[in-house]
Amino acid sequence: MMAQAGTATKDVAPLRKSSWKRTALMWLSRYGTIVGLLLMVVFFSANAPTIFLSRANFLNILSQASLTAIIASGLTYTLVVGEFDLSIGYVASFVGLIVTGLMAYQGLPIWLSIVSALLLGAAIGAFNGVLVTKVRINAVISTLGVGTMLTGIGFTYSSFPIATGIPRAFTDISLGRLVFGLPNPVIIMVIVLIALWVILNKTDIGQKMQAVGGNLEAARLSGIRVDRIKIFAFATAGFCAALTGTLLSSLLGSGTLAAADGYLLDAFAAVFLGSATLREGEFHISGTLIGVLILAVGFNGLSIFGAPTHFQPIFKGGILVLAVGMSALARRYAASA
Amino acid sequence: MRIRGLTKSFAGELALDHADLDIERGKVHGLVGANGAGKSTLIRCLAGVTVADEGSVTISGEELQKGSPRASEQAGLAFIHQELNLIPHFNALQNILLGAPKATRFGMIDWTRSGVAARAAAERVGIRFPLETKVSELSVAQRWLVMISKALVRDASMIAMDEPTASLSGPESEQLFDIIRDLSAQGVAILYVSHRLEEVLQLCDRITVLRDGRIVDAAERGALNKKGLVRAIIGHDMRAPDERARFATDRDQRPIFSVRDVAWKSAVKGVSFDLYPGEVLALGGLVGAGRTELAHLIAGAAKPDAGHFELEGRRLAIPNEAEAVRAGIALVPEERRSQGVMLQQSVAFNINISTLKGLRAVPGLPFISDRKARRQAEGLVAQLGIKTPGIEARIGGLSGGNQQKALIARWLNAGTRLLVLDEPSRGVDVGAREEIHDAIRALARSGVGILAISSDVEELTLLADRVLVMREGRITGELTGADITEARIIELSYHDTSDEQGDIA
Repeated sequence: MMAQAGTATKDVAPLRKSSWKRTALMWLSRYGTIVGLLLMVVFFSANAPTIFLSRANFLNILSQASLTAIIASGLTYTLVVGEFDLSIGYVASFVGLIVTGLMAYQGLPIWLSIVSALLLGAAIGAFNGVLVTKVRINAVISTLGVGTMLTGIGFTYSSFPIATGIPRAFTDISLGRLVFGLPNPVIIMVIVLIALWVILNKTDIGQKMQAVGGNLEAARLSGIRVDRIKIFAFATAGFCAALTGTLLSSLLGSGTLAAADGYLLDAFAAVFLGSATLREGEFHISGTLIGVLILAVGFNGLSIFGAPTHFQPIFKGGILVLAVGMSALARRYAASA
Repeated sequence: MRIRGLTKSFAGELALDHADLDIERGKVHGLVGANGAGKSTLIRCLAGVTVADEGSVTISGEELQKGSPRASEQAGLAFIHQELNLIPHFNALQNILLGAPKATRFGMIDWTRSGVAARAAAERVGIRFPLETKVSELSVAQRWLVMISKALVRDASMIAMDEPTASLSGPESEQLFDIIRDLSAQGVAILYVSHRLEEVLQLCDRITVLRDGRIVDAAERGALNKKGLVRAIIGHDMRAPDERARFATDRDQRPIFSVRDVAWKSAVKGVSFDLYPGEVLALGGLVGAGRTELAHLIAGAAKPDAGHFELEGRRLAIPNEAEAVRAGIALVPEERRSQGVMLQQSVAFNINISTLKGLRAVPGLPFISDRKARRQAEGLVAQLGIKTPGIEARIGGLSGGNQQKALIARWLNAGTRLLVLDEPSRGVDVGAREEIHDAIRALARSGVGILAISSDVEELTLLADRVLVMREGRITGELTGADITEARIIELSYHDTSDEQGDIA
């Protein structure tokens, strides 16, 4: 290829790749994440068969993954409509605090506390959506602003963790194993993922979301109420964040300020890893699940091999950059092919 | 410049098949062909954006390095695409000098000294506005002048222009042609790509016709006429406009759609007309006459300052696009890629997006039936003759004409009462244009109101049963039947004759 290109080889244009290289890159950008996940599993299994390959450890991975998967699939919706939401971590923390407070301070029954908490999350998401679509504030600013405000409001509500007065039945929700001996959060994750997948792929609102993300102007001219669709996506993201926050409080047995803030980066990393999976740079639910599993398996492996905890952010940040890079590459090849 | 045996294939399909072409300094070379004939591929190979599989390009005896935009630029090739690559918030001078070496003082750019060459170039192309004007404030025609100056500053020996007149009005195009002739007289080679055959015939010293990646014809000026050119492009003769009987408007019937004294800002000034069942009503006029603005008002993108619309006798209030669609008014927009298709999605997705409710598996539940969706998409693809590998193929891979057909298909089952088509065949080749026109006509005959907007005078004569000509926000004339000729439309576009024609609808 070089010989054919002539003598001057110093400034090689980025698109100048022989076709097999292109095919390989294309393949890698599509299936790279899945291959990466499998390689990690194989590597850990070979090096720590007794610990990694145990049923307990697999359940552990799935439980860890479930909270991230729920919040990340909500985030996926906002990305599908071409927006994003930086408030989800704060929403999860805030709602996680409120839900315990409703039981401990307000004395509400468990089910009512949870329902209120989830609706609160959806309402905050919808509020974000209104700010972005009707007031037309850029999503970075509005969701970051709302998220920051929530931190302060949470602190006003309770300046110390709420650990007493939480019914046992609430903590049992995340500890219990109602179906097939699987931890409840895993079951909840499966239900949420299936529901979100069906809505996105099999209903008209899902088709409209994809249209809005695909070409806003065209969607508008097709008679789609673009603003409503975006608000729905934001509300879903808020709902999922609230669910993650509630489950986390149940798992911790307390409502703690800023407990779920870290899920923001995990969710973004997972969603972008997912967007580089199977399809070229599009956001989709099954991809997001793969992304979440990569993170969970990675964290699990790191801790099995006794890596210090500060390796986790290195892994997390690194994989986010890698994921965004891969999805950008995938998009570019999709565009040039 | 000599191009020899240039071949390029994409995914096994030959986009360019051993193309040979000579381009000489001081001549205007026309390059024509249907969409997908390989014109853009050829240009992209020259520009170094695409790497040819085979063949060579030599410029004054030196072989051009393949796949290097930089090498192409240094060899003196300049490319001006339809979407002008200018930075809107930079001024004209900054854009002209973008990427060119600039004179500096203490490490800072000295705009006065750097501007000397730019100003000389601007003078050559006859720029009369100050170069300090921001590009975002310039008209499309003025932007073209900026792009050409940009090429001249780089000492380009060949300038390729892709569809330069697509968004220019008549006089603006004439001005551009003068500049092109000047440049070619000064020894610059011009490669002129256009769908507008008259222009090509009028302007070019030599015309090359591409079809299916092969060069099928090359002729000097005068050796080809329009008919021959069309035959070379599509491979068969085209129907003459007068062979087709125009539909005679029946004004006794209740109009499908009426516009009453509609005014909006300074673009639309009190427009009224009626659209009757069965007819294809077209709006002609120059770019900037207010037609696109009127179309957007009808489609609900903005609210008129005065006046109203009536659909089948009922007065309408259209607050937004979604309500317009619900009322049965749809717009096929001018900018197909940015406002029409969802490029990443499939053909079926793009066709079905406006009729999702009708595709539900169970009425009342929001779930889409895959079977119904597939059947509708397949039916419409067959009905309009959309050429696609399958309904699940990405629409981005289809030619412009087939994308446009898909956009029309989108509205066929949507209960549309009025379909507004803005520039229905822009950037579409001659063969596909005819098919699109047939589809539009069939739709009109079936009772859907059709309002077509076109800047292409020839298209108006081919498509319309009745033509309203707009000028500066007003309707200045109406043409029916045998009066619909290019000459009459152009006349009305420039001269206000409404005084003589008091009977305008």
